[in-house]
Amino acid sequence: MSSAARQVEPAEDAFAEELAFLAAHDDGPRPPGWRLTPRAAVTFVTGSGGDTLALPSGVTVPGVPARLAIGPKFVGERALVERAVVTLAGERGLLLVGEPGTAKSMLSELLAAAVSGDSQLVVQGTAGTTEDQLRYGWNYALLLAEGPSPRALVPSPVMTAMRTGGVVRVEEVTRCLPEVQDALVSILSDRRLAVPELSGTDGATVHAAPGFTVIATANLRDRGVSEMSAALKRRFNFEAVGPIGDLAREIALVRRQAVTALERVNAPFALDDVVLEALVTAFRDLRAGVSVEGWSVERPSTVMSTAEAVSVATSLGLADAYFPGDRDPLSLLPGHLLGVVRKDDPSDAARLLGYWDGAVRRRAETGARTWRRLWELRDVLDG
Amino acid sequence: MTSSTADPEVVGRLAAHRTPYLVGVRHHSPALAGVLPALLDAAEPDVVLVELPEELGEWLPHLGDPALTAPVALSGAHRDGSGLAFYPFADFSPELAAIRWARRAGVPVRPCDLPLAYRDGYRAAGGGASPLADALRRTVTGRDDEDLWDRLVEAPAPGQDPESLRRTALMVGWALRADAAGSATGVDPHDLRREAWMRRVVAAQGDRRCAAVVGSFHAAALLGGPAGEFARVHGEVVTSLVPYGFDLLDERSGYPAGIRDPEWQQAVLGAGGDPAAVEAAAAAVIVRICARIRELGHPAGPGEAREALRLAVDLARLRGLPAPGRGEVVEAVQTVLTHAEPWGRGRVVARAAGDVLVGHRTGVLAPGTPRSGLAPAVEALVEELGLPGPGAREAVALRLDPLRSPLDARRELTLRRLTVLGVPYGEPTATTGVGGADALTTRWTVTWTPATAATLPVAGRWGPTVELAALGTLRARRSGREQGEGHTPAAVLADLADAAVCGLPDLVGDLLGDVATVLPGAGTLDESLTALDLVDRLRAGHLPGVPAGVLDAHPTLSRELETAAVAQVAGLAGATDPADARALVELGLRHDAHGSGLRLAAALRALADDGTPLIAGAAGAVRVLLGLASAGELGERMASWLDNATGPDRRTVLRDGLTGVLAAASPLLEAPETLDPLLDRVEALSDKDFLDRLPALRGAFTSIGPGARARVLAVVEQRTGDRVDVPRAVDPEQLAGWLAAERTALAALDAHGLTPSTQDFKTDRPALRTSTVDEAVELPAGLRWRLVLGRRGDRPQGGARYAAALDELYGRERGEGAAGGDLGADLSDPFPDVREWSDELVALFGERVREEVLAAAVEGGRFEAALELDPGAVRPSVDLLRNVLSLAGGLSESALATLRPLVARLVRELADQLATRVRPALRGLLLPTPTRRPTGRLDLPRTLRANLATARRGQDGRVAVVPARPVFRSRGRRANDWRLVLVVDVSGSMEASTVWAALTASVFAGVPSLSTHFLAFSTEVVDLTDRVSDPLSLLLEVRVGGGTHIAGALRHARSLVTVPERTMVVLVSDFEEGGPVAALLAQVRELVASGVTALGCASLDDTGTARYSTSIAGALVDAGMPVAALSPSELARWVGEKVRG
Repeated sequence: MSSAARQVEPAEDAFAEELAFLAAHDDGPRPPGWRLTPRAAVTFVTGSGGDTLALPSGVTVPGVPARLAIGPKFVGERALVERAVVTLAGERGLLLVGEPGTAKSMLSELLAAAVSGDSQLVVQGTAGTTEDQLRYGWNYALLLAEGPSPRALVPSPVMTAMRTGGVVRVEEVTRCLPEVQDALVSILSDRRLAVPELSGTDGATVHAAPGFTVIATANLRDRGVSEMSAALKRRFNFEAVGPIGDLAREIALVRRQAVTALERVNAPFALDDVVLEALVTAFRDLRAGVSVEGWSVERPSTVMSTAEAVSVATSLGLADAYFPGDRDPLSLLPGHLLGVVRKDDPSDAARLLGYWDGAVRRRAETGARTWRRLWELRDVLDG
Repeated sequence: MTSSTADPEVVGRLAAHRTPYLVGVRHHSPALAGVLPALLDAAEPDVVLVELPEELGEWLPHLGDPALTAPVALSGAHRDGSGLAFYPFADFSPELAAIRWARRAGVPVRPCDLPLAYRDGYRAAGGGASPLADALRRTVTGRDDEDLWDRLVEAPAPGQDPESLRRTALMVGWALRADAAGSATGVDPHDLRREAWMRRVVAAQGDRRCAAVVGSFHAAALLGGPAGEFARVHGEVVTSLVPYGFDLLDERSGYPAGIRDPEWQQAVLGAGGDPAAVEAAAAAVIVRICARIRELGHPAGPGEAREALRLAVDLARLRGLPAPGRGEVVEAVQTVLTHAEPWGRGRVVARAAGDVLVGHRTGVLAPGTPRSGLAPAVEALVEELGLPGPGAREAVALRLDPLRSPLDARRELTLRRLTVLGVPYGEPTATTGVGGADALTTRWTVTWTPATAATLPVAGRWGPTVELAALGTLRARRSGREQGEGHTPAAVLADLADAAVCGLPDLVGDLLGDVATVLPGAGTLDESLTALDLVDRLRAGHLPGVPAGVLDAHPTLSRELETAAVAQVAGLAGATDPADARALVELGLRHDAHGSGLRLAAALRALADDGTPLIAGAAGAVRVLLGLASAGELGERMASWLDNATGPDRRTVLRDGLTGVLAAASPLLEAPETLDPLLDRVEALSDKDFLDRLPALRGAFTSIGPGARARVLAVVEQRTGDRVDVPRAVDPEQLAGWLAAERTALAALDAHGLTPSTQDFKTDRPALRTSTVDEAVELPAGLRWRLVLGRRGDRPQGGARYAAALDELYGRERGEGAAGGDLGADLSDPFPDVREWSDELVALFGERVREEVLAAAVEGGRFEAALELDPGAVRPSVDLLRNVLSLAGGLSESALATLRPLVARLVRELADQLATRVRPALRGLLLPTPTRRPTGRLDLPRTLRANLATARRGQDGRVAVVPARPVFRSRGRRANDWRLVLVVDVSGSMEASTVWAALTASVFAGVPSLSTHFLAFSTEVVDLTDRVSDPLSLLLEVRVGGGTHIAGALRHARSLVTVPERTMVVLVSDFEEGGPVAALLAQVRELVASGVTALGCASLDDTGTARYSTSIAGALVDAGMPVAALSPSELARWVGEKVRG
């Protein structure tokens, strides 16, 4: 697509072929401004379930194969994706909430690519995000030199999406200060944006073209940082995105991402399956508050996201690559877990001890070799 | 039948079958109930068969009566209550529709299911591979927990013709059956027997045209199959027809054979298969849910209702359904209304949806229906058990021994069950077992009153027998919590206790599951230990009707509860109540059996280092018990407390620390060397030092109760070789020896001119004079121990005055053996009044010790002692203030007037000290400042000034400034109108935190930029804001006691919020919430969501160690309220930071 190498391709480029195929495959009615039908958008995100889809007979599109299996991209309930797509089809704002590391941003990117073919109208919410980034800013040099004019106006991604009838994504909306978030309220209810400085000219009001909508993501753990106002909440439909439900899938995901990360530094990934399984199991137990066997586990307040598991797996892999034969990766695991858990609350370390007392010890007693080794390594934790 | 059979062919055969004409149904199905009359009209049968056991046939005429209003419930069971068959009927039950049709058409109805008397097996728990159902499910579903019938039959039904609906239903039933047949276990043998009976009934109809309305699972079996042999295995069967309610019909109520959301099903039935009408029903339901949410005090307007309906309809369209089904409506309501908050708003929406979708319809039987159900069943039962029945008017006293006599066990269960049902019949009388253990026999007073007869029919709604009704009430309580505010540990434990005494093992199993999920997250240490006790009783089989095997399903429960208790241990660091120390010891002893575990070890180490002296002592003792520390180490530590106890503070440490250690006295004494260093020191101290420490020592040893103290005494006796516990029987020879030694010493002093002044002492007691010479030990070891350990009235000769003075304070016995009368009653003269006592204390122990003893007396409930304290001379401390204040409630106005100067002085001095420390943190404001960060507010004058260097004259002569360095204004905050709401828990005793909070509030009240509110709460909330600037009257207003209801206090605090962004709510509490935790979290989330800055203080005092519930505090942190143990100056710093922004 582009000449310069990128670390990550945006969804509409990475899956350009599938998007073009699905646009031709399902020619049913589409909501205004949409590239795909709602049904095709759901298929794009969740995959065709292994089936190979065919273009309707007689339809050929250059550069698009006649038959194609759509790969699954989002690992989760299909009903959730259906609700999200229907929400967007009603031009209503969609808010994806969930723990960190649950692929909310990926889902929002896929949806934006499926709906409007462009996932790059993004506002990244931080405590430093200003209203300029949600409404419009000015080229101050021009502004001072010429006074307000459409030329001096710098549109925000939101304004651009309104003009083009596209989907704009607001990442981590709850990290923005409340007064900044509230700029979205009038945009979502009135569907237009006033530019008082240009009053009396054509540019005084920017109207949203059909198809304009907002996908925002918010982090459950950021609650209380900058909570959304009730007015803004009422303008969104909420979808809670949960962590990956299946152990094997999560292990595969962690492996895939750790391998990618290690490839970037040209280190081979030689992490034992056993270590990886122990790692992911421990993460899942601590995240869910209940072990694989159904024993209750006290949850630390730290987020035990899949992304963190990937970073631990990567660290273990790097340790193995750069210090080969130094220590076996399993013996490093308790230390890494402690590092992940002990972030904000010192009592989290105590909760990890509780995990060792409970699940790890019981598994060791049943004779699992990995867990016996981990139980032997308990002194690392109680420093 | 295998899955290789092509399904269109099988379904075709089923649909075309005529003897019988097959209607495969599910017990509740609005779709089929709606089309059944049309199907039967078309089939024109001579007889209709319904899937009900033979014995229930007698009720069919009453069931079909047009005067009957559904829902009603038909049930049958064996005489002993086993083998219950339960059939709730609503308008949308196809069987009821068939029975009603038959009555209208004048066609006979026959039950065709296996009679209850012939049933000896029951369905085993299913589960196994289900390839066909899975394949079907894949074609329709997006959700993980899909109900196949709902998706395939109910949701696509609107607009379909009756015949195709019948075919779909038969197909789904066949698929489920094929899966069951293909699984490892095959179709359940019990089902096969029932089907064989059904075939027999069909055959018995001869050549009459018959229609069978049976479960669609069974339809295929009626095509043909082997005949069965049937033998009667049970005697009499009891049947009943009772009115029922939609709240019980809802599947989540825990009653069998229910369906989700009956009111929705009723609406679908009412729509009569018209897609537009179903959509209208969905609209009505959604609007009513929104209205209900508004009634519950949360916003949900027409805009959201419109969006929810739009989403439901569009989802149905995307999924290819004619109209939104239950699934779509629920999904849409969740997505639009819950805001992804499972606890706060989610609970409200769930409750509103429950109210609207479940509904409150209740059934009425037709006039002339025979009486059945609970009341006749109970009357028969009490007669059988020989308990007073309707004829008896006299009260009967019973003593039951349920573990020995089976009859008593049944009586006990019946009485307990009736109690749970709220039927006034038996009154339990409290009994205690030997040695304080659990009583194994019970005492009852039983009367049959008119009230008994009157309440039985009301209770009959819950079930037709006393066991089922008790089960029903308890299940309803449980599901009420599940759908309402959520479980609280206290409620779960109460229900578990009820279910256990009522002999309901299944429910006990479920509740044990609740205990395992609820307690680890929300239980306090006490609750965890209570649960462990209950589990121990269950394991021991002390509860009739509940086999110990009920615990088999929860093999790790005890361990999990212990783990949960361990997680609470960290929250004990600030505890000052000996009960907490004892709980810690109890927990430690439980772990003794299987090793301590890393976490407990770490927590105990932390407590021993950082806890209050009491908890540090107890933790130290537990560490010794668990082998984590050596006995000698602990002994040295105790000895060091004794050595260091030179000032009043240190003596408090000695008393509290020792009390903590002695909480573990009994097990510790198995290793007496722990006490050795302490004993050595006590004996080696000089008289004066010993007497200084005596009140503290005695205070500690009193806490353990006479029983344990006697054991310490035994250890001491072994050491000294004396018998020291004989009341008033000191060996005269020995006493003579002491006196002689004393005289000699005095003579020696005289000779050296060191005679101390004797004016304080009466001349007839020279032996008791306090020595000024350190080496001279005047009170012998045995006597010292008598002074420390003696019982009230145990006045060793030679030490009588000391002992009497201390008895005055510590004489009241507590703990094991306190009630025993083995020692004679107090026979010595008590001190006439406090004043005299106080004088005596000065004479004996000196002025400094007197203050301590009096303060301790105040704490121990000797209110008058406070009046003896000299306002001018006392050292102001929060502890003393706290003690004095805790009396304020119990004193007369005149006594209060004497106390007031003391309190006034204490408050004034403490507030001044605090203000000096706190004020600096509250000074200063912040104005908008220039910044280079682009905030969007351009500061034009500054920008111009900063960019003059880049001004250029353009070609047209105009000057243009190129603003290379724009300057912006930062956000300024006005700091002068913040509101601070202090919400202070006064439920426990007068905690130091309460005093500190009042003092701190008074300091805050003096800061002009803050308006300070003070709410004191227990179960009630008192707004003391008008007193906040006067800590004295504020503190005198506070009344301690009552339960803890934090959520209520926060609700009131929310009503004080006008500008959320400039409001701080500081909650001072131990977080042991008495109400449901979910409600508390919802309040906190509401507060935080509205933008209020919230802070939880686990304690507010100088030490920064707190006693609080760690689990609830953790949940509050998740909800957005940080929790910390703060000192007042730290709180002030925090407030200052927030105000300055």
